[in-house]
Amino acid sequence: MLRAVLRDLRAHPGRVSMTLVAIVLGVGFVVATWVVSDSAAATIVSGQTRADFAVIVRTKDPAPLASIARAEGVVFGHSAVVKSDGKLGTGYFPEMAGTDWDASDRFHLIGGRGPEKAGEVALEERTAKDAGHGVGSSVRLLRQDGTSETVTVVGIYTYRTAAADEPMPVVAYDEATALRLAGGSFAWVELFGADPDAIAAQAKAKGFEDVKTRQQIADERAKEASQEAQIARNFLLVFAGVALMVGMFVIANTFTMLVAQRTRYFALLRAVGAKRRQVRRAILAEAAVIGLIGATVGAALGVGLGWVAMTLLRSTGETVIFAVSPLAILVGYLVGLVVTVVAAYGSARRGAAVPPVAALGTDYALPRRSLVIRTVLGFLALGGGTTMVLLTSHTDLSDWQRVVGMAGALLGCVGLLLLAPLLASAVLIPLSRVVSQRGSVVARVAVRNSIRDPRRTAATASALMIGLALVTAFATVGESLSDTFSRVVKADIRAETLVVRGVNGPTQDDIVPKVPGDATAVYHGWGEVDGRDRSITVVRGNGKGLARELPRGGALVREQFGKKVGDTVTVMGKTLRINGVYVDESFLYNGVVVDDPALLGEHSYLDGVYVADADRRALDAAFAERPDIIVMDREQLIMEFIGPLQLALGIVYALLGAAVLIAVFGVVNTLALSVLERTREIGVFRAVGASRGLVRRAIRRESVVIATYGGLLGVGIGVLLGGVMQHVILSQPIFSMAVPLPVVAGALGGMVVVGVLAALWPARRAARTDVLAAIATT
Amino acid sequence: MTTKKAAARAVELTKIYGEGDARVAALDCVDVQFYQGELTAIMGPSGSGKSTLMHCVAGLDKATAGRTWIGDTELTKLGDDALTALRRDRVGFVFQAFNLLPTLTAWENIVLPLDLAGKRVDRAFADTIVNAVGLGDRLKHRPSQLSGGQQQRVACARALITRPDVIFADEPTGALDSQSSKELLDFLRRSVDELGQTVVMVTHDPTAASYADRIIKLADGRVL
Ligand SMILES: Nc1ncnc2c1ncn2[C@@H]1O[C@H](COP(=O)(O)OP(=O)(O)O)[C@@H](O)[C@H]1O
Ligand SMILES: [Mg+2]
Repeated sequence: MLRAVLRDLRAHPGRVSMTLVAIVLGVGFVVATWVVSDSAAATIVSGQTRADFAVIVRTKDPAPLASIARAEGVVFGHSAVVKSDGKLGTGYFPEMAGTDWDASDRFHLIGGRGPEKAGEVALEERTAKDAGHGVGSSVRLLRQDGTSETVTVVGIYTYRTAAADEPMPVVAYDEATALRLAGGSFAWVELFGADPDAIAAQAKAKGFEDVKTRQQIADERAKEASQEAQIARNFLLVFAGVALMVGMFVIANTFTMLVAQRTRYFALLRAVGAKRRQVRRAILAEAAVIGLIGATVGAALGVGLGWVAMTLLRSTGETVIFAVSPLAILVGYLVGLVVTVVAAYGSARRGAAVPPVAALGTDYALPRRSLVIRTVLGFLALGGGTTMVLLTSHTDLSDWQRVVGMAGALLGCVGLLLLAPLLASAVLIPLSRVVSQRGSVVARVAVRNSIRDPRRTAATASALMIGLALVTAFATVGESLSDTFSRVVKADIRAETLVVRGVNGPTQDDIVPKVPGDATAVYHGWGEVDGRDRSITVVRGNGKGLARELPRGGALVREQFGKKVGDTVTVMGKTLRINGVYVDESFLYNGVVVDDPALLGEHSYLDGVYVADADRRALDAAFAERPDIIVMDREQLIMEFIGPLQLALGIVYALLGAAVLIAVFGVVNTLALSVLERTREIGVFRAVGASRGLVRRAIRRESVVIATYGGLLGVGIGVLLGGVMQHVILSQPIFSMAVPLPVVAGALGGMVVVGVLAALWPARRAARTDVLAAIATT
Repeated sequence: MTTKKAAARAVELTKIYGEGDARVAALDCVDVQFYQGELTAIMGPSGSGKSTLMHCVAGLDKATAGRTWIGDTELTKLGDDALTALRRDRVGFVFQAFNLLPTLTAWENIVLPLDLAGKRVDRAFADTIVNAVGLGDRLKHRPSQLSGGQQQRVACARALITRPDVIFADEPTGALDSQSSKELLDFLRRSVDELGQTVVMVTHDPTAASYADRIIKLADGRVL
């Protein structure tokens, strides 16, 4: 029985090839996710841990420990490599970037030697590469006090950390220089010896508290690494899950079509005595076999992808450990098998329900499944979701209301997926009417074919829709965030104003006197406000570059603070009149705003200097010798903050790409199987005078219709979903979302291209239909 | 005696399927002419090559050897696109079954060849045909909503709509009951008598053949 079904399947390998692609891609993504997170964890845990030290003690001076064992102090201090443009690179922490060279396993020399005296340094491999330095070249380094010096690179190293939280120093000095730069104190002391436990006990006996043995550190590190890997894995698995869900649509759709095409075959089996259950089991077994094949190829693909990803992700010169756990493969098989069998279940039941008499008639069609239950469920989900979103549509949301709003939005999306066949009819039938009156034969045939089976079109388009909706939703959130941020900055700062800031954010206020022109410095900090610790913003200067209301000798407070103009507020013991209340979000202002520099709290820092009527060249010249300070205009300031967001979104898009790709194969699959089903009518079409080109065009048009329909639906749902997402994240009104026009245009344009590409093979196949074979009566 | 003009003809037409032991000569050096304004029936036992002859003369299939013409156009010299255009503009087809595109209405099926050619529909002529096949109130229906006989009549109307040089019908009544058969044959006869059409009909049914002006008999790929 099973053999009969499988043989029938083997006779038409093309039919299942696209289904296999969907399974392979989905499983591949899951396995790759597993492999990458396992490998990353393994790399952190085992490969680069040092085993040379015995105990690490957090203390500033090695001297008292020298009597226990060989004690080596480790310096960590502010240092940074100046890039060729005279500024620092962003994205790392100069305050932890310099260390002292020693002979321990911390350093692994790749070239040259360690620094021995002042004026010599070794550089970390990646940093050296990025800045274009090698052994022998001179490099400009920035010191803590803002001055810089030019030194010679004598070595290039890779660094091995011991503790999980140990930073990666980019510059190594000789010990004397490092110690001098770090103000004479060590970050920690490493003790060397054969018996870590004994050494640790002795150190504790001397009154040191923060003492950890090599084993303890390794354990902590392993725990940390596996937690990090788990987080990364969960993040990636979400995307793999989306890809799999899309894959399920494709697989289910394929099986529906395969069963429909083989109705007579199943009827014949039933006529010669096969029980329903046997037919159902045979179809499920067939699904399992396809699932197994797909999972095998997918697992191999996943391992390969994982390897590629690990090679690309390799952060430094460290050797990457490539870990393929049996669990990863097992998960891949499980997912492939379960997804395929579950997706095929409905079709199996329907295939088994084919009555034996269907074998006799020429054109028995499977009864159309009723859409009633699906439609009712769809409306319930959509209604429930919409209600949840509406109930939480106000802008002062508590955390659980945010959860309800988000869940409502997702429930609504599920509702729309359930209603997809209905929607397909609702959208495509009117389109077909218009096309019937105006359009060419090609368009008419194409559109009619696309709504022949709304369920099939809906499933194909839904697969596309899911990926696109998520891409658009994230893009909408990103655009809304960017929009809000740039609106806030623009409300704070005048367009012509130039900004002087530290490369990595806040900086020392020694730069303020150096700023030529009308400079206003803005400081943030904390201090006592009306008896409680609160944020204080100090605006120092005439405020000409700012577009905001100024404290004018008094204070400004946020609306939420609950006081009004004319009231008083006590800031750091000084009573001030409230001269203004600000309502909206602000980039510059935080908490209570004053202009008396004496009210700077202890932990305040300079956020930036805002210069009105500034001469850009004079400003640049004033800070030419300060690699840690940059001058920018308002747009650049906005980009500083938006840039990383765009990068993050880019990663999300790439990860969703797998889902979109699978959906595209779904379109190919649907078209290819439809073309097979329609061999006869394509033959008639050709016989009465449709050229090959025309047949190709009709299929291509049909493909574009399906893809664009999926695209429109996806983009529409995505923008709404994004609206709710930005609402729950930013507490802004839902419809205040910014529509990411480039992404929307790209998605819709992309869908037309996808439609054309997906039709390439099926259209060629259709055009090659043998007219005679198609119209033969037997 | 007036010389009759041939709407379609074949000279030394040979069609061979397979090779070696499986070699079948479906047509063996056949010379045949179908005259304008006549209904010609091709008869013969099953497997005698009737369909093959029709397919080759109508430009649906390529002959192994020999030459065929529709009017003055020699088909054996044409490429696929030219053949397609010729089928569309100058030949009409009625097959035994599955003649229609299921997504198009009866009317759309009828005018399909004109649509494909980008030609305007001659309303008066179309009305004449539609009335003749008696489908007036069924034009907006899809093929699945029509009976087998109605479907075949739609196919006939489609074959006529371009006023082709010749209509080929391969066992058009093969799947119909006797009443529907009679209606269809009446209609084909009238299209010859009243519209001056040329019809070539393959059949193995003597009743159907009795509607013909001329009968060509085939056996084993040869004309008797
Ligand atoms: N595609 C084909 N491949 C091989 N043999 C064929 C093919 N088509 C027809 N034949 C053979 O050619 C002969 C003539 O067939 P056909 O023209 O269909 O006969 P008829 O229509 O008179 O029943 C038969 O012997 C048939 O088996
Ligand atoms: Mg025949």
